[in-house]
Amino acid sequence: MAAQVWAIGAGKGGVGKTFVSSSFGITLSKMNSKVLLIDFDFSGANLHTLFGSELSDRNLRTYVEGKAALAEIISSTSVPKLSYVQGFWDTWGAPSLTLEKTKALISEARELPYDYVIFDMGPGPHVANLELFGAADERFLICNTEPTTIEKTYRFIEAFICRELQKVTNKEQHQKLITALQSFHIKEKSNVLFSFRNYLQEATNIDVDFFAELEKHPVRLILNGTRSRAEQDLGYSIKSVCNKHFDFGIDYIGAVEHDNAVWQSVKSRKPVLLDKPFTPLAGQFLSICKSITCPNFQSNLYKAVV
Amino acid sequence: MEVSKYNYYDILEISQQCPQHEVTTAYERAKTTYSGENPAIYTIFSEHEARELLKLVEEAYAVLGNKTLRAIYDEKLSQKNVNLADLSYENLKALSKVSVPEAPKKISSEPVQKEKDPNFESEYLALTAWDGQWIKKVREYKGLSVGYMSEVTKISSFYITAVEEEQIENLPAPVFVRGYVVQIAKVLGLNEKLVADTYMKRFKDKFGK
Repeated sequence: MAAQVWAIGAGKGGVGKTFVSSSFGITLSKMNSKVLLIDFDFSGANLHTLFGSELSDRNLRTYVEGKAALAEIISSTSVPKLSYVQGFWDTWGAPSLTLEKTKALISEARELPYDYVIFDMGPGPHVANLELFGAADERFLICNTEPTTIEKTYRFIEAFICRELQKVTNKEQHQKLITALQSFHIKEKSNVLFSFRNYLQEATNIDVDFFAELEKHPVRLILNGTRSRAEQDLGYSIKSVCNKHFDFGIDYIGAVEHDNAVWQSVKSRKPVLLDKPFTPLAGQFLSICKSITCPNFQSNLYKAVV
Repeated sequence: MEVSKYNYYDILEISQQCPQHEVTTAYERAKTTYSGENPAIYTIFSEHEARELLKLVEEAYAVLGNKTLRAIYDEKLSQKNVNLADLSYENLKALSKVSVPEAPKKISSEPVQKEKDPNFESEYLALTAWDGQWIKKVREYKGLSVGYMSEVTKISSFYITAVEEEQIENLPAPVFVRGYVVQIAKVLGLNEKLVADTYMKRFKDKFGK
């Protein structure tokens, strides 16, 4: 069976993508699945830092330059069933990651003998990021509760929608869509219920009914570092705004609480879930993973027990 | 998603089947989202737009949060060719006030007057000591069923039968029994004081109370 590709992205840096990716990896491997983490952050990788490993020559760079196959650059971790691929750590001369290379990487990753391949993406809506995000089986957006992050999260979603629109329209149509979108931001909206999708339809006469298709594999939102119930409820607000503005249903899958164990463990260069396995975070990650891998399971039960 | 001012379920982002408590949860979430300075609406909706959205949310909850109005709204929605403008809160509220006329009270069995028997009538009118048996006889003579008696007097038919059969174990304290006998005698058109006094005397003599 082909490996499932999970992409973990965010609009802004420093919101905990690497933390969430590594925690997903550990949680899924504890659930008896074979997991491969790929550090896809070409603006400066640091998945290896979390696992406390040394820099290695066998990293994603050798793969991109065509010197090694993906299977050859996999390193093991201290967790059984969990392996990882180091990213570019020499950013000054990073080879440009073309679209074809990204596509090839994704299809090669699917062929590997793993149950899950988790991509830890870099921040922001770069072309390679969006391509990966679009091709993945499960897409996660990490967000924290700061207004700056939330704003950039919306920009990421917008970029993602535009990117997906490109696939279903021809060049001329797409140009028309982009122009329509640019004027949409400037225009004073007279009617409140004037939505993004309706606007596109009116302005371009192009049927943009692909939203339903996108919603079959919804973007899943994770709020990281929440400190109160009110902050956790922010996820529902973001979901509602996406619904009303983009007509784009996202799935708010859960919040991860703020925990001092996180920075303490990062300092000692060990993954939190290994260093302090009894933090409430373990239960929160378990319930998120469970709700995706077995949707019918009562994941809230787990939260209560752990 | 068809966006309409009157599509209250879409405004609160819930399904038509969702239970009442989820409507309230959805309303509370929407209210937090679009009122105050929620970071989630920053750069997406202006202050004015958020206020307009909040108005819609409030109207949606005014309808869906009220069980009666929600039922009327659901019914209207299920009809074909529904005019959305008819679904405003004011219209639904007006509809809910149209009272449904109450069905006239039905009495299970009307009295059926049998043929008059002057001998029997003079016999019971001359009676000076009443008991359950006689009450039953008169009731049957007048063609009244136990059920009818019960509906008219508001005494359970169980007690009416118990009074007639003089079943002490089924009757409450004597003060209540006297009340029952008075009521029954009134309906039967008897001298209620005479009937109650003699019935209760016999009752006390017989059962020693």
